[in-house]
Amino acid sequence: MLNRFSNWLDARTGWRNIWEGIFLRKVPKVNWLYTLGSASLFIVVNQVVTGILLTIYYVPNPDHAYDSVQYITTQVALGWLIRGLHHWGASAMVVLVFLHMLRVIFLGSYKFPREVTWFSGVVLFLVTIGFGFTGYLLPWDEKAYWATTVGTQIAGTPPVIGDVALRILRGGEDLTAMTLVRFFGMHVWVLPAILLSLVGLHVYLVIKHGISTTPKRGEIKHE
Amino acid sequence: MSEESNLSRRKFLAKATVGIGGAITALIGIPAIIYVVGPVLKKEGDSGWMRIGPTSKVTPGTPTLFSIKIERETGWVTNQQDIMVYVYTDDGRNYAAMSNICTHLACRVRWIEERQEFFCPCHNGVFDKHGNVLAGPPPRPLDRFELKTENDEIFIKVG
Ligand code: HEM
Ligand code: FES
Repeated sequence: MLNRFSNWLDARTGWRNIWEGIFLRKVPKVNWLYTLGSASLFIVVNQVVTGILLTIYYVPNPDHAYDSVQYITTQVALGWLIRGLHHWGASAMVVLVFLHMLRVIFLGSYKFPREVTWFSGVVLFLVTIGFGFTGYLLPWDEKAYWATTVGTQIAGTPPVIGDVALRILRGGEDLTAMTLVRFFGMHVWVLPAILLSLVGLHVYLVIKHGISTTPKRGEIKHE
Repeated sequence: MSEESNLSRRKFLAKATVGIGGAITALIGIPAIIYVVGPVLKKEGDSGWMRIGPTSKVTPGTPTLFSIKIERETGWVTNQQDIMVYVYTDDGRNYAAMSNICTHLACRVRWIEERQEFFCPCHNGVFDKHGNVLAGPPPRPLDRFELKTENDEIFIKVG
């Protein structure tokens, strides 16, 4: 029954080829460091799911932001869990993506033909930092407010462009409701759109090239 | 490793992946559902008996509109909500309090003095002065509040 259905679907979509390409591809014998990319991907999914759930109650407006976050943590059933997963997941994501990048550097996996995988990774790292920076403001408590005051002030320090950069980040001279909404818009629309498309490209390239093997001392490889 | 043990290892890993993946999905999926529906299941506060006004305001034979404000907590916001009540009496002794919410699909009904009936503009529902349905789609008479009078003041029970 199930078999007949999957045959029927395969004849119309060719899903089996894709499935096998993703899950049954050959991988060289590697070590646990090679799981860091998958661990990053796992956290991405966690952040997307819990983040969407948070928007069900969160309001990006100075009059309500703080109260809505307090409401989530203290009143909503399991709200503490959903917020906790997103909060700790954010830190874990920065750490895991960074460690994944280090492993790619130390094992030389960024070399030909994987440069584009690397470039997309560099942007993914910046996007990850962007998520952390914009998300930190959203609870709109003292810590959030002053951390973002400082963070955006740093953007204002370079000569010539500093002033404009600061105004673009804050949506004006000061940290106001304008800042909160634009950070929210970045955090839930712009950055996720970039992140998800780049993760798609990144993983596609990983599958296309296959995972690089671990380099061996004294071995010269011609591929 | 022999071909056969290789295959069973692969099968085992495939099963383990599906199993652990399913467990993680359930572990976040079930809390997600609880999180979304949780606040819906909370009971809204009961306001009890509310004074709506003096009996002298009600002319026998004509439904009279009273409006009271109550405070309701919705999430982290406390807001004011208006409750509109038509009070009716035939004899100046027995009073009835009717909600102005149409029993069809919750539009607000209005007393039309010239026609001596309640009219709902949404789908032309018509009720008489006691709240009974005269025409249109409403399935039952206008809802009533529990009412009492004390020292010529009218009180209704707001749930
Ligand atoms: C959201 C962030 C990221 C996700 C979800 C992600 C995901 C992955 C996955 C699943 C793999 C294959 C498994 C592995 O090698 O660990 C991989 C490989 C790779 N990643 Fe990332 N990655 C991310 C960020 C980065 C960053 C920041 C860099 C570098 C700047 C990078 C560069 C690479 C390269 C060059 C490979 C190919 C490695 C090889 O073939 O051996 N990635 N990535
Ligand atoms: S809502 Fe009143 S008639 Fe339909």
